[in-house]
Amino acid sequence: MKEFAVFWGCTIQTRFPFIEKSTRTVLEAFGLPYRDIDGFTCCPEKSLVNNIDHAAFVLTAARNVALVDELGYDLVSPCTGCVSNLATVSCELKANPKEKDSVNGMLKEVGREFTGKAKLHHLVPFFHDTVGLLAIKQKMKRDFSGMKIALHYGCHMIRPSHALRNDDPLNPQKFDNLIRAMGAESLQFLTKLMCCGQGLDRIDEHDRALHFARIKLRELKSIGADALVLCCPSCFLQFDNNQFLMEKEGERFGIPVIYFTELLGLSMGYTAEELGMTSHRVDCEPFIKKWESLANKPSREAAIEEGLSGPNLLS
Amino acid sequence: MLEATLNMKLLEMCSKCGACFSICPSCMHIPGYDPREVIKDILDGNHEKWLTSKHIWQCLECHHCLEICYQHYGFENAMTALRTIAARKGVHPAQVKRGWEMFVKTSRLGEPALPARKKFGLPEPKASGAEEFKKLMALLKERRGHKGE
Ligand code: SF4
Ligand code: SF4
Repeated sequence: MKEFAVFWGCTIQTRFPFIEKSTRTVLEAFGLPYRDIDGFTCCPEKSLVNNIDHAAFVLTAARNVALVDELGYDLVSPCTGCVSNLATVSCELKANPKEKDSVNGMLKEVGREFTGKAKLHHLVPFFHDTVGLLAIKQKMKRDFSGMKIALHYGCHMIRPSHALRNDDPLNPQKFDNLIRAMGAESLQFLTKLMCCGQGLDRIDEHDRALHFARIKLRELKSIGADALVLCCPSCFLQFDNNQFLMEKEGERFGIPVIYFTELLGLSMGYTAEELGMTSHRVDCEPFIKKWESLANKPSREAAIEEGLSGPNLLS
Repeated sequence: MLEATLNMKLLEMCSKCGACFSICPSCMHIPGYDPREVIKDILDGNHEKWLTSKHIWQCLECHHCLEICYQHYGFENAMTALRTIAARKGVHPAQVKRGWEMFVKTSRLGEPALPARKKFGLPEPKASGAEEFKKLMALLKERRGHKGE
């Protein structure tokens, strides 16, 4: 497998170091050739930087990709925003030779060059396509059969599709496949692909941001989801932090929000503590407790076997 | 300035379509949010009145409209263009201003949380690219100056 640089991004490193913890834990456990490299800046964040200055957006992203290009690595990110922004710019420059030349003219002044050779992956499709479901099953100590999981893809894991080209942008399957390979049921529900709405918290509209979280959390509560699983720090902020804020005001949902790497780590035998899950604001205990209680239950086969071979009133 | 970033021909098609309205999360859940109105005004030459509207910032950039669009275009292009013009006039939300300032000053939107890294046994964060980034931003400014922008 080709070596790859991990692009952590600002949000994970600033607010959620425990996500970095669980990601490193699973990358190590799979023995994947990941590298930490010097020189990354913010990806940059699209809604903020691109709205104000498109040229600064392109130049900053091109420089980040150039760092990976030079080393001959690919790039993998556990942040949907980062990978979507980098891929959007990379795709734009590949399609516009003139713009690429002008960007490279500036990058040259700091000794860099954007070639766009590096493949840019989000961690979830990367696990699906490059690590593979079989390798994942082999590493698992215990699966999640009996657990009902609601997935939130996160818009920018799969869109814009012309830049990311990793799944069907309106009917994605790969995250579902991973969850099913881990033995859980992937719930299908109305708001499954609805945007988390965290962006509203970045334009001084906190109440609306809460309302977007509420719409999905209500549905998850009513269909009995054991957890919401996702792989984006922005969506995590929206559903963990904002759910917690609503619960403090007396609106209870009780939906644990679990990062993909944490779920994978649990199945491989790491504890919630080791994976940093005890740092979440919404308690993950109910999920862990239910999962543990299922482990103590005899398997379906054993229960039937016992019924068939046990005491027989007819004889 | 508007023509430079928006394709009026595609917007004409939009004004006869509106398909993405039914898939857009902000159209569904934010009263008064309707890019069809915005596009109509842009085509009538009245985009100005939207520059101070909060609605142009309520587009979540989820790209649903782009993906369902038969032109692979999307409402979002109209909203992005108006946001850019609003920002150039300095009428963007305070939080966006603060974020932008932090970005140009530090090249990031926050610094690694060092005590927490220690607690989780995470390695030292790698060197940042802030110096190079600042040089590039200065260069961009300089080149724009030449072009008289
Ligand atoms: S990108 Fe904006 S306009 Fe398009 S569907 Fe999403 S919220 Fe609506
Ligand atoms: S953006 Fe595309 S789908 Fe939406 S109204 Fe315009 S043409 Fe129709």
